Amino acid sequence: MKDESARLGFRLTLPAQVLVLFISVFPLLMQAYISLTDWSPLSGQSWPQAWQFWNSFANYSDLLGDGRLWAALGRTAFVMAVCVPIEFMLGLGLATLFMDDFKGKRVFYSILIMPMMVVPAVAGYMFFMLFQSGGPVNDILAMFTGSPVTIAWLSDPNLALVAVMVADIWQWTPLMFLILLAGLVGVPEDQVRAATLLGANPLQRFTSIVLPRMKTIIGIALAIRVIECFKIFDTLFIMTGGGPGVATETISVYIYKIATQDLIWGYVAAIALAILIVLSVVCVWALKRMARVRA
Amino acid sequence: MSMIRLEHLVKRFGAFTALKTMDLTIADGEFVALLGPSGCGKSTTMNMIAGMETPSEGRILFGDRDMAGVPMGRRGVGFVFQNYAIFTHMTVRQNLSYGLRATRRPSDEVVRRTNAMAELLQLTPMLDRPAAGLSVNILQRVAIGRSAIMEPAIFLLDEPLSNVDAAFRAVMRTELKGLQRSFKQTMVYVTHDQLEAMTMADRIAVMDHGVLQQVGTPLQIYNDPANLFVARFIGSPGMNLLHGRPTEVAGSMAIDLGALGYSLPLAPEQAAAARKANGDVVFGFRPEQAARVSEGQGMAMPISFVERIGARTILHLGDGAASAKTVFENDAGFEMGRALHFAPHPSAVRLFDAASGAALRGQ
Amino acid sequence: MAEIAFRNVTKRYGATLAVDDASFTVADNEFFCFFGPPLSGKSTILRLILGLEKPDSGEILIDGKAVNEVSPAARNIAMVFQNLALFPHMTAADNVRFPLVERREAPAKIEARLKDAAEKLHIGHILHKMPGQLSGGERQRVAIARALVRDPAAYLMDDPISALDARLREETRVELKRIQREAGRTLIYVTHDQEEAMSVADRMAILEDGAIRQIGRPVEIYDHPSTTYVARFLGSPVMNILPVQATGAGFEAAAGALQVAAGAQAGVAELGLRPEDLRVSVWEGGAGVPATVAEVEPLGGYTVVTLTAGAQPLRAMLRGQPDIRVGALVGLGCDPARVMYFGAGGEALPRTGGNSLGGDRQ
Repeated sequence: MKDESARLGFRLTLPAQVLVLFISVFPLLMQAYISLTDWSPLSGQSWPQAWQFWNSFANYSDLLGDGRLWAALGRTAFVMAVCVPIEFMLGLGLATLFMDDFKGKRVFYSILIMPMMVVPAVAGYMFFMLFQSGGPVNDILAMFTGSPVTIAWLSDPNLALVAVMVADIWQWTPLMFLILLAGLVGVPEDQVRAATLLGANPLQRFTSIVLPRMKTIIGIALAIRVIECFKIFDTLFIMTGGGPGVATETISVYIYKIATQDLIWGYVAAIALAILIVLSVVCVWALKRMARVRA
Repeated sequence: MSMIRLEHLVKRFGAFTALKTMDLTIADGEFVALLGPSGCGKSTTMNMIAGMETPSEGRILFGDRDMAGVPMGRRGVGFVFQNYAIFTHMTVRQNLSYGLRATRRPSDEVVRRTNAMAELLQLTPMLDRPAAGLSVNILQRVAIGRSAIMEPAIFLLDEPLSNVDAAFRAVMRTELKGLQRSFKQTMVYVTHDQLEAMTMADRIAVMDHGVLQQVGTPLQIYNDPANLFVARFIGSPGMNLLHGRPTEVAGSMAIDLGALGYSLPLAPEQAAAARKANGDVVFGFRPEQAARVSEGQGMAMPISFVERIGARTILHLGDGAASAKTVFENDAGFEMGRALHFAPHPSAVRLFDAASGAALRGQ
Repeated sequence: MAEIAFRNVTKRYGATLAVDDASFTVADNEFFCFFGPPLSGKSTILRLILGLEKPDSGEILIDGKAVNEVSPAARNIAMVFQNLALFPHMTAADNVRFPLVERREAPAKIEARLKDAAEKLHIGHILHKMPGQLSGGERQRVAIARALVRDPAAYLMDDPISALDARLREETRVELKRIQREAGRTLIYVTHDQEEAMSVADRMAILEDGAIRQIGRPVEIYDHPSTTYVARFLGSPVMNILPVQATGAGFEAAAGALQVAAGAQAGVAELGLRPEDLRVSVWEGGAGVPATVAEVEPLGGYTVVTLTAGAQPLRAMLRGQPDIRVGALVGLGCDPARVMYFGAGGEALPRTGGNSLGGDRQ
């Protein structure tokens, strides 16, 4: 009877499964195919004819020697390494605060999650304005130094990256906050009380009771942000366009540029696929690790 | 040191008063049960003793020390939660040793005391098992052991048996009572089950609607309930309560049970109580303290239902207007629909003021 | 209107034997109770009757007709679940009407049924309320009313009152029995509370590991348990079961501290004594067995005393409030006709009259 119903279930969901397969697998295969060629839309052939430009794994070997790609990757990793921990700590701190009652909690809550609702392009424009050399950021700094400040944030190669990271932290801390708050709410209050009654101080309670119970949700929050960070693009692109020079060129910006300006689509496909494979491997490894820790 | 004094304790939650005023002294080493239906204020009282809630008014003293402002982690109370609040991501050993580790005791002491506690509670074979998925009776012991290992002077238990199967409760009761004997701590036990309170507690504090109704030993409360609430709440089944009017017939007091067409003579002590009555009284007697009599000698009520539970037979008597229950030891041909002639033992009769519900006493 | 029977029904879940070769017949209009510890197969039996599960082997019969292949809907059996499963967004009345509205009965008929059920269950005054506004006992009655209006052939109830307070349970179980009598339907009831089972059941089945150990009237089972398992499972406090050795004159337990003079009977390994059958008196030497009081639990109407005779713990339930203190030495006696005998496998053996409990007189 069980086999029967399993078979029926399979038959009923078959159309949906085929559709999903088509949507997710077909573009991948198409990309894999193009990545093995030197095809470009300017070649005059449509993509199925790309085999005429077959160059087997040349794109992949080019990729290994592409200094600009590696620099972009390194930059992306750097942004990730700085922003995700800061967002996590800020989000966790705020979430912990929100576990207690205080005056104006609802208003603060609305204000806190507002950045998440701002369209990234608009956020980019906001920070573009804020970081102008005559903009509010410099004005505020001037209040502390006492003399006019005219830092050219977005045209200094180092400071531009800082400005971009500030914008990222502003926009994504609320998501961390929300996810971690949901996690904190799920920690049984009686267990925390029990630990208190057994003499545990707040830090001990946090590390021994709260953290273990939030392991999964922290893992999910971090995974989401790491993946998202890899894709950092819109806000940044409006603020700096990846510049000055290549100073804020992340992997997404790099791919965008070579795809729209250089139009070497075979190579773009190779990069995209390589990143996808690396990210998938990392994700699967992280999920497996998490599952092991929980078991 | 571990005497608990509650002085004029009041707790309000916004407009709702959970505890109207509570005065209670619990002696060192005593096992006191806070007994009452849900919403009677028993858990609120307990949470204030533990420091999880702050009193709106009044004081809590441990010995002579006022507990106001002392945070719950510093009160030295052990607390067993209704759901046990076991740390399910830890092993039994980690649960038991949690308090010792949190307070940074030397590791050899942690190991020694954890092993000793496990031995006492017969948890040694499962010390290194994960706590998740253990059966409730084991979880209960882990919860108790985890608190007991800190050697608190005061132990608070919040309905620890309410999640346990009825069949298993008797076993757990015995186990708990035995543990209290071996720990010798002051214990406060919150429950809504009068049987648990009767079998385990040295004294019972009966509560209802945020008011302490009566404090006494189980038998004091059973034999001399202070009011109608306690009379109904204690006992299984509860006390029979019938409306009546004190009458004096030829110098001796009796209770006229009106519609039942029966007038019951009173023993001297109850007679003295009846003389104090101001109008109608409620006439009470325990279902176990009635005997069958021959026709015309006592009350007569039709048997509406016969419950035979093991060695006991519970008879449900009468209809909506006047009803009673009696308990007999054997099933001696009771038939539904037939009238039962019975009378309470005169010394077992208790009288209550019909208006206030308070017990009327002879002295 | 419904006789429900199992013939050698077995149900496995993977390697677990949930129901083990069960056979029983629940008569029409009977209040039949399944009683057993958790995971003993009670709920699986209900699911099999309802048709939510199919047996691996054996036959399920309703009114003599095999229903193994009949769908749950066509069996016309109503179920009251442990969690009651009332719809929280509907009034009590709408909850009760629900099964009839679902079946598109005529409005007049629905209202008549509702009125009838409300009267039987005394819920007329709360019909307009939402489940959230009702007490546990009231919700309980609404749930039963909802089962009642369907006019099913039989009702199944899975521990329906376990969530109520002890006092309310005592009242509700009597109410349930009254409702069943008035409705005149077969009722199959599952509980883990032995007092409840004995109170309501016309007949009951005791389950152990999916197998039915004994079927009978509660009184019969209480007085004549078929095995030590059944004997221990029914009755509070639990029956005293003493491992005994045969001696020339009868049996002895606890290394001679307890002696029972009885006609020799082959194969007796254990004796059973109900706590209420033990008599305790002040020890004056002579008759009875000397025992020490280890624990006294006053229940008001009764007093449970735990005693030790030699190394053998025994529990006695005494009427009233006798003046017995922990540590006192008492004499223990017993009506010989009430002693039960069990073999090495725990099976009950016939009672033999003319024996008595004696002490160790050295």
